[in-house]
Amino acid sequence: MSKLLKKPQQLQRPETIGRFQKFGLSDNPFPSEPYVNQDSTDKRMNGGIYETEIHKKEFQQIMDCFLKQPQIEPNHLRLGYIIDTSYIGRGNGKSAFLVNLKQIIDDDYCLDISDGTNKCFAVYVSPEAGGRTKTFPGFVDILYQSIVKSGAIRSSLAALRLEAIRKLYPNIDQIIEHFSDEKLLSDLDSEEWFSQNNFDIKAISEEIYKNDFLQQLPDDFPLFRGRNSWIKPFITAKDFTEHYFNNLRKSSDRITFVFSHLVDYFLAAGFNGAYVLVDDFERIPDFQSERQRRDFALELRSCLFDGSCSNARLGFYNFLLVFHAGVPRLIGDAWAASGMEQRAPILPKISSKHVIRFEKLSKKQAILLLKKYLAEYRIEGVELDPLFPFTEDAVHRVGELSEYNAAKMLKMVNELLEKALDSEDAIVINSSFVDDNLDIFEDDSSRKQPIIKEGRAVDLENKAKGRKQ
Amino acid sequence: MAIQSVKKFYFLDYLHILLDSISQYDKRIDVLTSFLVLKRRYSLGESKYKKLTVDTEDITDGRIRRYIYTFNQVISEALEYKLVKATNNLDSIHLTELGEKLLSKYKERGSVSFNEELFRFMEDKYGAFRYLVSKLYAANRTLPGLLFLPSYSPRQLGFERESIKTTNDFIGYSEALVEKLGNDIEKYVGQRRDLTNENQKLVMRLIKTDLLPSDYKKCFDPKKYNVITKRFRDFWMSYFLQKVYHYDFSMNSFDLWTYRGKQIGIIHATEFNPYFCGKIVYPLSVIMKSVESRDFDELYRYDDGYSFFIHKPRWSENQEQFVAAIWEAYVDLRRTYRSYFVNLMALREIVCLSTKISEKTFEDFMNRTYKLNLSGKLQIRISLEVDKLPEETGAMYLKREPVMIDNKYRNIIAIDATKGGRAEK
Repeated sequence: MSKLLKKPQQLQRPETIGRFQKFGLSDNPFPSEPYVNQDSTDKRMNGGIYETEIHKKEFQQIMDCFLKQPQIEPNHLRLGYIIDTSYIGRGNGKSAFLVNLKQIIDDDYCLDISDGTNKCFAVYVSPEAGGRTKTFPGFVDILYQSIVKSGAIRSSLAALRLEAIRKLYPNIDQIIEHFSDEKLLSDLDSEEWFSQNNFDIKAISEEIYKNDFLQQLPDDFPLFRGRNSWIKPFITAKDFTEHYFNNLRKSSDRITFVFSHLVDYFLAAGFNGAYVLVDDFERIPDFQSERQRRDFALELRSCLFDGSCSNARLGFYNFLLVFHAGVPRLIGDAWAASGMEQRAPILPKISSKHVIRFEKLSKKQAILLLKKYLAEYRIEGVELDPLFPFTEDAVHRVGELSEYNAAKMLKMVNELLEKALDSEDAIVINSSFVDDNLDIFEDDSSRKQPIIKEGRAVDLENKAKGRKQ
Repeated sequence: MAIQSVKKFYFLDYLHILLDSISQYDKRIDVLTSFLVLKRRYSLGESKYKKLTVDTEDITDGRIRRYIYTFNQVISEALEYKLVKATNNLDSIHLTELGEKLLSKYKERGSVSFNEELFRFMEDKYGAFRYLVSKLYAANRTLPGLLFLPSYSPRQLGFERESIKTTNDFIGYSEALVEKLGNDIEKYVGQRRDLTNENQKLVMRLIKTDLLPSDYKKCFDPKKYNVITKRFRDFWMSYFLQKVYHYDFSMNSFDLWTYRGKQIGIIHATEFNPYFCGKIVYPLSVIMKSVESRDFDELYRYDDGYSFFIHKPRWSENQEQFVAAIWEAYVDLRRTYRSYFVNLMALREIVCLSTKISEKTFEDFMNRTYKLNLSGKLQIRISLEVDKLPEETGAMYLKREPVMIDNKYRNIIAIDATKGGRAEK
């Protein structure tokens, strides 16, 4: 018989079910490494699965004291602190909270939240681990890169162009009527689209230059590149970055660029503020000397409150520094010596609007968190209890074992679910199932079995004899 | 034997501050006062570990008596090495030429040279380190030089404190303990031993000394719980030392010599290996006629042609190996404890064991590594922070030397593999 017709003795069966189908899930919904990585495409990892009911109190305080306050009011809060109440401060969901906050702000540039009072974008900044960001100029570099990443420069450019086009070509509204924001953004960033529609780039640029806010900017500002040359370049966000890193060599020039020139540019594009969310702020002072801390605080104060840059005058950027409970003690002296303590006390004696306490999960929130993850991976059309296969008492037990630390809980339930898959009789995961499987996450002495690696250690006698290890 | 009669103090720094005091005063009482002032100034002795409580200012009589006892022990050891001379009633004390030389060594070249010089005096007199190190190499067939002294608390064997109330409960624990220890002996020494008899003897002794009630169902005094568990621990540690490894040392002398050896950097002793319950001791030195590797320094030459060599790897030739060791140790710890940040002191234990370096060398190498990291010259990225892990907020790391990196005490570490770097191989 031809091999085309021959069949193997065994063949997979079409009704074979997926691994997690047993629990009505398409995959394990929980991350195995629960640390937010914004660049990950996996929604379990990038903070994309987020239950807004959790940390609602913190979110409400930020809404009321920051997002809803009119930006043009000069006394609005320009600096706030989100302090994790647990000393260790890792894995409580701060990064996920921030990523989500950023998304909510950017969704409609804060216009919906503030009833049209503010048009603001959000920037997520995360200082490098390992203490490379020690000085204020170093921090400004990271801030600048985060601004680029947030897309604010690109969308401002698009906003300026669109406004100019509308003045010069009144019929544009018909063309773009059905465009999504995304398509508009990419078209306005494409030279080809301009030529397809016969828009005169030169005229549009000239129209943009008339904007009041742009009049104070120096001639080398990237938006003006090639203004007086024969061939008009098509400016993109890349030009800004090239200018920043190639032309601005001195740190003072970079600070002026970010805190004055960019502010004017954003204002011209119709923004009246921005929220800068600095995650893991402790990574900066942890590695600084006392003097570096004071200098940092002084420069921050100058750029936010008292200096001569546009930002200090107008209060454009609103900073939210996020850190754990040990940090105020660490930087208290520097804050006091630099005068920051008068501007935005980090150790306030009474509860203050600008200090947001980030609490641990409660029992109820822990259940909500799990339900949210499960819902994301629930197979469509399957009617099950939203917490299935977990029971409430199992969640409480996991919560107790992990001290209601969100990251630890997620990791534990990830492993419990894997374990339950292998066990044939586990239909639900209840507290006794958790207790029976404590060994998979117990980090206590019970797992301290002598597993000293044989053969890996240097054998001194052999080494002394000159034998190869 | 001579080794047993060593003076009863652990810290070699005591000899330094004694010499320093005598160089300034000669009346015994003035020397004592200066000794105590310096002891306090440098936070020597047990006080250097007490980070959690505030030292009380008032000094009790008992404390004074202990201080004077230690002081006398230090003087008599200094006399033995002929570093000082004294009048018969010890009223007046002076430095000898040897003592002066040693003291100036400390001033010029620091504590490491001082300790190494002291090593020579001690070895001249006692020969204890040679005995200790040779025995260590003989103790373990599979892992050369590694001495295990296991110890398991009731909790580590799954007995919660609340559930231990009567003699019977303790017997339950002791049986589990004996089984575990029996397995350990088989694993590390390759012998099968029945420990039941020894265990019975121990329990009878505890009953005889009224720590446990003779009626097995009766409750013991709960205040004595810690004393009883300590008796178990001490008994089995001594058993291992003397009956399994055949040392002529008492546990006290053994601790004393190993701790002195640890300060010199020739032996490592720890109760904090994250993968082992109990104590581990291993040599950072070898005794041979000659060595072929440049990573050893000769500390002492014996009459029979053998020499004592200390393992002192040079940074320039060992940096690759060191960075590889911290990466491996970190990956293991992260896997075991399932946390991105791991305890730096636990990491140190693993690295010291795998590369056979002292805590001092570890600190030195870690500092150099960290500087390379900051200047971006490493394939990995290291983050060191001061906070503790949540499970470590209690008093559990008393008696562990802290790690100072970049002039700051660090408690936890995380490592990232950079792009294109040597991620998990």
